[in-house]
Amino acid sequence: MNFLQHPLVLRLRRVLTALLILLLLGLLTRPLEAPAWQVVKSGQPEMNLAAIEGSLGQGLVIGVLGGFRAIMADFLWIRTNTIWERKDRAKLDAMVRLVTTIDPRPEFFWINGSRMIAYDVPNWRIREEGGYDVVPEARQQAIDLDQSTQAFDLIDQALGFHPDLAKLYLEKGQIYLNRLKDDANAAKWFLKASQQEDAPYFAARIHAELLRKQGLHQEAYDFLKNLHNELPNIPFAQKGIILERVRELENTLKIPFWERFQPALGAAAKSAVEVAPPTFDPQAAHDHHDCSDHEGHSH
Amino acid sequence: MSAIESFTRVRLIAGTTFLEAVRQKFFNSLLLISIALVGSSTFFQQFDFGTGELKFITDFGFGALFFFGSILSITATTQLFFNEIENRTAVTMLAKPVYKLEFLAGKFLGAHLLMLCFTLVISLVLAGILYWREAVLLERLGEDVILDGPLIRYGDVFLFGFLQWLKFGILAAITLFVASFSNTNLYTIVVSFFVLIICQLQYIARDAYSGMETGWERFLVQGLGLIFPNFQLFNIGDQLVFDVEKALPVSTILQITGYGVIYTVAFILLAQVNFRRREI
Repeated sequence: MNFLQHPLVLRLRRVLTALLILLLLGLLTRPLEAPAWQVVKSGQPEMNLAAIEGSLGQGLVIGVLGGFRAIMADFLWIRTNTIWERKDRAKLDAMVRLVTTIDPRPEFFWINGSRMIAYDVPNWRIREEGGYDVVPEARQQAIDLDQSTQAFDLIDQALGFHPDLAKLYLEKGQIYLNRLKDDANAAKWFLKASQQEDAPYFAARIHAELLRKQGLHQEAYDFLKNLHNELPNIPFAQKGIILERVRELENTLKIPFWERFQPALGAAAKSAVEVAPPTFDPQAAHDHHDCSDHEGHSH
Repeated sequence: MSAIESFTRVRLIAGTTFLEAVRQKFFNSLLLISIALVGSSTFFQQFDFGTGELKFITDFGFGALFFFGSILSITATTQLFFNEIENRTAVTMLAKPVYKLEFLAGKFLGAHLLMLCFTLVISLVLAGILYWREAVLLERLGEDVILDGPLIRYGDVFLFGFLQWLKFGILAAITLFVASFSNTNLYTIVVSFFVLIICQLQYIARDAYSGMETGWERFLVQGLGLIFPNFQLFNIGDQLVFDVEKALPVSTILQITGYGVIYTVAFILLAQVNFRRREI
């Protein structure tokens, strides 16, 4: 029997022919598929694997679960909370990563996951080693740094999916501030948060306050002056508080009266005059009762 | 044999196949489960963290459409094909002047019509639930919110359904292709599911090869990316329904449609090449 007529060879030839046809078809449809794929991909950040390091699992989840990943992630998050209650830190870390891999879209998972890792786990670890009274300060700080670094990794991943989300920048700033007591880095992240479109007004105020705390009075003064000019005249912007701090800094920096900050007149002046010293701006007396900027809490 | 006669034969086979398919218990059970699942999305919504209610329901509905639609597309096509072979009705049919291509095309169209029914029903149920929840939400918010336009673009629900239906078409054609050389029901279903997973995930391989250095691995991955159709192209649920800024241009929809039709036809023709040689 001719070798080429062997059933196996014939079958192999048929398979190879089919593969070749599909390969050619792939090449032929590429002009149709490539532009469409670019559009589809650009609208879904979790599909941009090149941009997000180590996101192979992400692609697998999207491919296999499709729309069900939201409910899957939700149920796993409930499970994560049970693990959190049991203070099982190894499992907690794995679960937080699993949930955010399955559905990276809700900010809730990223923010709460990073809080668990940065705030709760250090407490557990310190207690495991004997408690706050026994564990030396240096060791406590090392644990805090270790856990905060893990939380920062998580937030950095989140920023790959939500690069404009102010809450994530704020979260990093809060960890630096509350857990690591690192005012310089906290100030940096609060500033970044304040630069996002959805930033709350207090982010910029905290940045200035942290500059002041570090003794950078001139920088804080310049920043607050600019901030006062840029903010809209709405109660939530709390321009009155900003002006109050500007005045405090002017006193600290001993800036002469004639060089002191003068807010823009008009609507903005309403908020400015209430905290201005009478000697500086006599007009203030007339508008003294307008306290609209003092609503809400201040930082 | 004229084209009209051929078309009539295909239509007749498709009609019979469709009727046979809608009477199947499997189809009816799966349809009911899917409807129940989409209908219960408001219940599952209480477990949701982070995403909005309407977004969650939409995701859930799209998930059900993709998941159960894929199962139905593969199993129904396999059953409809092998029923004819195992019951020897294919022999009777092909003894008459019916081409094997007509037989395959009829089987495909019957299965695809079934998928159209499934997709339409799920899309309608989803749109109905979204409409109900949107009305409740707007009533709750009262006059506090002023909207520029509707909260939900209902047309997009059906657009997603249409694109999924196209994908089910490719899947049914792939299943027919596998069935054309396979001897058993089970083998066809298992292989088709593997192909589905590869097609869903092939974009990962393609993205990976772009970062690879030149070598045989790169050619292998590139080849895989070309051999299997990219099913993620139809996965555009996140860009539809809510976000006006993310809405897909018409040209992209047309490109995806063209891509789906080409692959469907190609796999049916490949199935025909195998089936022509097959002894029934």
